[in-house]
Amino acid sequence: MKSIKRGERLTILLIILFLVGMVVLVAKIVTEATFYMSHSNNVNIGCVYDRNGEILFDPNATAEEYGADYFLDIGNVIGDDSGQMTNTLVSENIDDLQNYHLLFGAVENGKSAIYTTLDHNANRAVYDAFGSKNGTAIAYNYKTGEILVCVSKPSVNILDYQNVETLETGSLLCKAFYETAPGSTQKVSTLVAAIETIGYDAVSQKSYNCEGTYYNNYNNKIMCHKLSGHGWQSVSQAFQNSCNPWFAQLVQDLSLDGIERVFQKMGYQINGEGNATMDIDGITCFTASTELTDVNDFDTQWGCMGQSKTVISPCQLMMWESAIANGTGEVTQPYFISYKQNLFGTITDKAKTEYSEPIFSADTAQKVREIMRENGDAKYSSINYPVGVKSGTAQVKDGKEENSLLVGFCDDNSLSIAFCVVIENYQESDGISTNQIVRTMLNALSS
Amino acid sequence: MYHNGLRYGRIAALVFFTHVIMLLAVLFRGNYETIQDLIPLSSAVLGLDLVYIIVLRFFYKQMTYTTDFLLLLVLNISVIFQSCFGGIGFASKHYITCILALICCQIMFLLTRNHIRLMAIKKYLYIVLAVIMLAIVFLTGSRSMWIQIGSISIQPSEFMKPVFVLLCATSIMEQHEKTKVLFFYVSKEALLLTGSFLAIFLLQWWCRDLGSLPTFAAAYGCAVICRICYPKAKFSKKTLIFLCCAGVAVVLAAVKFAPGYVQDRLSVDIWNDMYGNGYQQCRALMAIAEGGLFGKGPGYGDLIEIAAADTDIVFSTICEEWGFLVALLVIFFIVSLLILPMINKPRSYYHTTMVLGVAAVFVVQMALNIFGSCNLIPFTGVTIPFISQGGSSMITCGLLAGMLKAGQSPVFRKPDVVAENTLSFKVPFRKEEQSEASQKSENSNTIPQNPISSNRNANRPNSQNRPPQRPVAPNRNANNSINPNLMPHRSVNPNRNLNRSINSNGMSQRSTNRNENVHESMNPNSVTPQKQTYYRNPYQRLYQPHQNQNKTEQGGNHYEKY
Repeated sequence: MKSIKRGERLTILLIILFLVGMVVLVAKIVTEATFYMSHSNNVNIGCVYDRNGEILFDPNATAEEYGADYFLDIGNVIGDDSGQMTNTLVSENIDDLQNYHLLFGAVENGKSAIYTTLDHNANRAVYDAFGSKNGTAIAYNYKTGEILVCVSKPSVNILDYQNVETLETGSLLCKAFYETAPGSTQKVSTLVAAIETIGYDAVSQKSYNCEGTYYNNYNNKIMCHKLSGHGWQSVSQAFQNSCNPWFAQLVQDLSLDGIERVFQKMGYQINGEGNATMDIDGITCFTASTELTDVNDFDTQWGCMGQSKTVISPCQLMMWESAIANGTGEVTQPYFISYKQNLFGTITDKAKTEYSEPIFSADTAQKVREIMRENGDAKYSSINYPVGVKSGTAQVKDGKEENSLLVGFCDDNSLSIAFCVVIENYQESDGISTNQIVRTMLNALSS
Repeated sequence: MYHNGLRYGRIAALVFFTHVIMLLAVLFRGNYETIQDLIPLSSAVLGLDLVYIIVLRFFYKQMTYTTDFLLLLVLNISVIFQSCFGGIGFASKHYITCILALICCQIMFLLTRNHIRLMAIKKYLYIVLAVIMLAIVFLTGSRSMWIQIGSISIQPSEFMKPVFVLLCATSIMEQHEKTKVLFFYVSKEALLLTGSFLAIFLLQWWCRDLGSLPTFAAAYGCAVICRICYPKAKFSKKTLIFLCCAGVAVVLAAVKFAPGYVQDRLSVDIWNDMYGNGYQQCRALMAIAEGGLFGKGPGYGDLIEIAAADTDIVFSTICEEWGFLVALLVIFFIVSLLILPMINKPRSYYHTTMVLGVAAVFVVQMALNIFGSCNLIPFTGVTIPFISQGGSSMITCGLLAGMLKAGQSPVFRKPDVVAENTLSFKVPFRKEEQSEASQKSENSNTIPQNPISSNRNANRPNSQNRPPQRPVAPNRNANNSINPNLMPHRSVNPNRNLNRSINSNGMSQRSTNRNENVHESMNPNSVTPQKQTYYRNPYQRLYQPHQNQNKTEQGGNHYEKY
């Protein structure tokens, strides 16, 4: 009798195992149904809007309806549903754009939509300001975290691209989220590290001589962009001059552990350790990475000046500016999506402002802010706004080209904007500078 | 004793109205041009319902009809599904195979409900298995599992399933009879069964039809476990560990040496290979999502364009057109078929092993199909029992369903007695008949019992020739030794002591003696109190063996042996 019961129990066990599998299947379907639908052609996709209600993406858009270049400035940021672009707002949030619900299946006239924080007018103005040059510009409100401008040139016209092979290199990527050599904009981080490790008083008392060329403790040569040298300088002067020998000597006077600790807190991936990316509304954004081995070593010093192995995404550079501009050392977390609307028209996922843990002290933030403001007032008055900035020139492609960068913030309560602008293959003769682009950007955002 | 759940009329109405509701769903939500398109399907489904209900009611009496009606319910639902895929029509071929499945179910029921009969022809099962295997080797195409006869394709490997399950069931009791060969004691039955499984394994491997292997492996595995659970089994922990390790080793070796296409399926990321190895699963999952909970409507699905939409990924096709809820409900109906034998319990090792084997085959097939198409496990080309299109599969499922039914309505008589009485008893359906039966039962001074069983006995023409029915006396002092295969629902008066022993044939025996302490040879430390009375089993009264005969002394008589 027991044996018969064991047989029965085995049958029941088989059935239970099967039912457990069915429960797993149901859970899988319920949680992943929208993902499956994202690959289906039998579902309507909703639109994406900017902060003023302008359409940034319409699955049924035509050139006749919108104009041939209407989506050009946001082509590689917003993207489309063709599946040819990844890491764009649409591709990474396609599940929420579908007029689909597991309960009802695909709904013909759903109201799914995404409302972004972007300002299409400002975006277009910045895109146009690049003229013939390529590059990227990103700006956000450092008090709220709303990303207002995100331009990457060359871009792609989502209304007219059939063959991706024919597109210019980099057209499908929004370069604001990809790493680039920061050049002297890295000196902001180095300055932060110095103040955090030895204190502002010690840093302010430092005075180093620049003769145009400096030989470090290992007898490596570090060149200054001003070959005749800057002479003896304080920290503010060196920051404004972006003097390499001065900062090389500063790094030598710091401890490697101190620099590493501060950089790690700021989000650097050091010597391959740490997170290399972050997520902004589904879009993957590279952070920063560098190699630090010895404060007397050329590569470490050169890395602390934004060359060698140091690479940072423009978005990350912009985010650090928020910690400085806020004067708190806390990074305002950026976001693209103001809110989402489901197929019934109900608002979901409303964004709210969030701050990181302090990446450096408020005192440090305020001191760096003062130094940057001094730099902005002294050298970037042409922007016509009270800005704190740091420029940079980064050698790329084995020194064959130079990129021009400008990071900073607008120190105005009514226009609390942090930004980062990169012009690729910069040449003064082209007549387009980062200053002009920042001015155009702030003009467009203030209007 | 028999739990019919619902009375005949109610369960018949339930089945009928379920189909009517589904046809109404086709009418209101279906994709058809004129209402005439629905007539063939409606008349076929409702006609089969009526015919089957009438046949069962008036011409084919049995103790429980629940399995029959569940089967009818599922098969006609299957006909409706298959007729609606991609547009409303009538799947006549599928309809015919469903009718064949119903017939096969009844044939297999009659064949397998009495294991005495089956044991007598057990050797022929091996012959049938061998013939099927030879047919696969010689009649199919090059390393294929299909035989083409004109426009009809037959998959003979499907028919190996019921045969193999029967082999497992019939060999279970003799697997403990060991003979000494050289220095080893070996069980001929166990070796034969294992040999059969290995032969099937090699054949399937040779034919590159590895999808069915888990089905056979599950049936064989269950048989092995049943053998371990058998009262006379002396399995050490070492043997169990060895068996488990061997099983794992075989699986690992199979994975390692599996053909390339199988290994591709094991490791494929379907969404990265949407137009290659993952095509069917991706489309199947998309179809499930598109259908939502309530489906697009019968005939509005797109998945039918995909290969094997009505067989290997039929679950997704149903989900797309009828919705996820309906698909789950149908799976629940099929699972209910397997649960029924747990309510009307099998009463012998033979029936238990048979039901377990059928459950293993059905469960594994459903799991492989549903979970495979939904990418929970690697995708294989097996069918969902009763739902997928395919004549061989449908007939096989009908045969297996017959075994399920036999497990619930077993017969423990000699073949000639069985034949004599098969169609002779009558089951009361109406309340008045049941009351009448109960009254008769009381008048005959028996303990109140199930009206069906009591009425059956009353109507038996040869019941007078049977040993006299005797109620259990509270302090009966009879040495009542009964084979568990004959007396599955044994119960003992609490005032009696119980002594159970195992006879030479591996049968559990019980003798009662109030002066003896409770003792059970298999597990001396555990005794399960029995609450039921002997007389709750209708067969016991009809065929109660010689009351005072000690079973251990019984010899070559076939009836007594089993």
